[in-house]
Amino acid sequence: MHRRDWLKRTSAAGVALLADRWQVTAAAAATIGERFPNLADAALARAKALGASFADFHIMQTDSESLFVREEMVQGVDADSSLGCSVRVLVDGAWGFAAGDDLSPEGVSRLAESAVAIGRAQAGWRKRPVEIETLPAHTGRWEQAIGIDPFTVTLEEKVERLLAINRAALAKGANYCNAHFSQVRERKWLANTFGSRIEQSRVRVFPSFGVTVVDEKKGEFASRSSLAPPRGAGFEHLRDWDFIAEAPLAVEQAREKMAAPSVRPGKLDLVIAPSNLWLTIHETVGHPTELDRALGYEANFAGTSFCTPDKLDSLQYGSELVTIRADRTADNGLSTIGYDDDGVATEGREFAIVDKGVFRNFQMALGQAALIGRESSNGCAYADSFDAFPIQRMPNISLQPGTDPSVTVTDLIAGVEDGIYIEGNGSWSIDQQRYNFQFTGQVFHRIREGRLDGMLRDVAYQGNSVDFWKACDGLGGAPTYELGGAFNCGKGQPQQVAPVSHGAVPARFRRVNILNTAAEAGKDIAAVGKNTCNCNEGRLGRWA
Amino acid sequence: MGLTEDKARELCDRILGLVRADSAEVWLSEGSEQHLRYANNDITSNSVSRRIDVGLSVSYGKRSASISTNQTGDEALRTMVEKVQTMARLAPEDPESMPPVEPATYADPINWSEATANAAPGDAIERVRPVIEQARAAGVDSAGYLQRLVYGMALANSRGLFVHQRSASVGFSLTARTGEGNGSGWASTQVTDIRDLDLAPVGERAIRKALASRNAVERAPGRTTVVLEASAVRDLISLLIWDLDRRSFDEGRSFLNGLVGEGKDPVGASLFGDRATLVSDPLAPEAPCATHSGGLPLNRTAWIEKGVLKTLEVGRFWAGEKKIPVQPGPGNVLMPGDGATLDELISQVDDGVLITRLWYLRQVQPQTLLYTGLTRDGTFAIRDGKVVGPVKNFRFNESPVNILRQIMASGIPERVLGSENDMPFHVPPLVVRDFNLSSVSEAS
Repeated sequence: MHRRDWLKRTSAAGVALLADRWQVTAAAAATIGERFPNLADAALARAKALGASFADFHIMQTDSESLFVREEMVQGVDADSSLGCSVRVLVDGAWGFAAGDDLSPEGVSRLAESAVAIGRAQAGWRKRPVEIETLPAHTGRWEQAIGIDPFTVTLEEKVERLLAINRAALAKGANYCNAHFSQVRERKWLANTFGSRIEQSRVRVFPSFGVTVVDEKKGEFASRSSLAPPRGAGFEHLRDWDFIAEAPLAVEQAREKMAAPSVRPGKLDLVIAPSNLWLTIHETVGHPTELDRALGYEANFAGTSFCTPDKLDSLQYGSELVTIRADRTADNGLSTIGYDDDGVATEGREFAIVDKGVFRNFQMALGQAALIGRESSNGCAYADSFDAFPIQRMPNISLQPGTDPSVTVTDLIAGVEDGIYIEGNGSWSIDQQRYNFQFTGQVFHRIREGRLDGMLRDVAYQGNSVDFWKACDGLGGAPTYELGGAFNCGKGQPQQVAPVSHGAVPARFRRVNILNTAAEAGKDIAAVGKNTCNCNEGRLGRWA
Repeated sequence: MGLTEDKARELCDRILGLVRADSAEVWLSEGSEQHLRYANNDITSNSVSRRIDVGLSVSYGKRSASISTNQTGDEALRTMVEKVQTMARLAPEDPESMPPVEPATYADPINWSEATANAAPGDAIERVRPVIEQARAAGVDSAGYLQRLVYGMALANSRGLFVHQRSASVGFSLTARTGEGNGSGWASTQVTDIRDLDLAPVGERAIRKALASRNAVERAPGRTTVVLEASAVRDLISLLIWDLDRRSFDEGRSFLNGLVGEGKDPVGASLFGDRATLVSDPLAPEAPCATHSGGLPLNRTAWIEKGVLKTLEVGRFWAGEKKIPVQPGPGNVLMPGDGATLDELISQVDDGVLITRLWYLRQVQPQTLLYTGLTRDGTFAIRDGKVVGPVKNFRFNESPVNILRQIMASGIPERVLGSENDMPFHVPPLVVRDFNLSSVSEAS
């Protein structure tokens, strides 16, 4: 069993979280650079003395707190903190990496020695040496702008806000409900042999809830999760999102979903809300355009990509309406940061991945740009903990609004004769080269003759990434733009988890393949329809 | 070497000695990891790291909180204890809060190896190098990952419980891809003792699949008889084993609720096929694991026996509510087989598909335990009892419930890695009828 699994399973608190108005200690208030002076010099000097052509030294401190409430019970109050450092070296054309929690000059010198030793052990039989570009040196400090530091908010206030969500759900008739709030602060300090000395700090929060309604007689249940996204933000995100209005709505929608007619499989038009589309962007555009995947570095786990370097500037990735941009500078973005973990400044390095439907660029980390004829990384390196090797991870990747700012989701729905409007993300899956995807959602509204007409159940949409984006024929205007995202995008071996945001507007897609998930499970769909619909006398089932 | 018992006891005593709360539980984990990755037949990263993690849960009556850190200096520990006590005092009461686990007797685990613990970092490179050279010689691109984990873990609480156990494992997997990218094969192994690590057959297996899967043709999706290699079986079984939960069923929100009538209990019911047997046993030498879970002893447990559901996991609070015994979840999973070789299994299929690996399995419908996912790295058509050639990959939508109901034959169990976790599994390849291949994937 993996260490992290063991810790999770032996924790008495299970899910858990914390929060109290901690007195910020002197150690926490000081910058990492101030707390650990001269460590970088010791590590980098040792690495260079041993023959490293490049070296960098990272210190990372991660503090997280989380709170979990079920119905009217507080079941998890938890805090976690980790602090450690790593030395990465390029020696004899090979990478070496060592990490630990001994933050002394002697300790980091030993890490440098270990890193050089395992890098050097590859000498003599490499096919091709690792080569990296020279990066500009940066000295500075970057801190994410947030409203209210969640680490200063009292436990009582957080608990009360979560319990209020559950009370609102229970009052509406939820059988079960839970709410949680997570907050993370990352502090990073980076020094490298190019001369950079960078300190950074950022905060992210994730408030959410889920409700379940049960029909015991039928042995059925239905759930609906909050549509609230995680954000690179402070406590104001929990305060400002109207969970007290959303919770009873979620109960109503879960109940309506359980009683709704089962969807008829086939080709239907879709209008997809940003709360669902962000994940589709993530899987069908974000991951396929990671250069390390395209080059085969991730072949043994995450896979490769249909989107290979020879398709740059030629692949028609979507319709001409579709422009998808990447950045690490967006307000409230989960991937937003001043410098990536290679020391590349992110401001001014925003880039189009898809421009008016054409594939234009990959996401890159150090040492990759030259492999596709580009000059330098576009700042996408990230390591999720002090003992993780930095790899290419996703920036914020977002679907840009349509040119007409007045277009609303109602306008998009008005253009559909027979279709579905999907809100909220549910199940997701895509193949290892990112062709074939399948997604569900939280709420499926039937569209008939340009208007919403009740709800459907058992809906999944399945397709091919490029075909899907080519089928896009309508986009909401700038006022409809929303930021979605996740705390937990996984990649790499050992797996690293990265936070990432995706902005989107509501978008319309023509003739998308719809599956009935009950039928996929081998259920008699006719029976499903009969069981759940009392308005369909004389017919075995009801296909919407 | 991992956390020693003496160090663990000293650290646990030191932390518990600082606690003033009504009750407390400490858990520790210390060890070393090595992660060697390669791609395109060259090493891409090789890392070594050491870390310790300390966790503490404290309670004042029904008010509880937890904290964890990797800092173990005196001041850091004092700060940790003060913090978590403050948190617990501020936390509202949890009616479901439970006191720490009572001391118990634990079997000595067998998932420890001095040889694995003492292996030098360079050992991994020397073991992987011939596999990379094997791929180079075969003209394929290979990407692989070797993970060596050596841990000592301890749990102690204010009721006097103390348990210290160590674990060691080495996992290896590789993907071989043809230069044109039209063929791909994957294979894996996992051992406790690094001296048992034999990578050459793993490399050979992946390369053979890569070469054999070139130029796949499209086969129509639909409900199909499939032969699932052990890795695919492992991924599918793991989807079910964690959902065998008493409380979820009692609350009406388990897939089991749809399988039994209102008021009926699923335990003792024949819900699966006769060939479905799932057991966990921490002392099984073929896939050992820790012998406790959160201080609860893990013993040999039959979860499903010849299609009959025998056991559900029961948490401590729910056990008290329902006046039934506590039942921790499994630490490993064992599924017996009929002893047939893979070729013998294939020979039993007139028209079907050989699936060697699955990918990106995600739940679609909790009510039926429906999952979706894809095949990858070698999928082949079977006709008249023989593999006749590669076919393009499929997306499937299928429930492990159906799989355990539709087993036609099984083979020789083996210990394999899964696609997304490394819990020990020892399972056989299976022949399963009416497996729902939903659509074709272009991925190769």
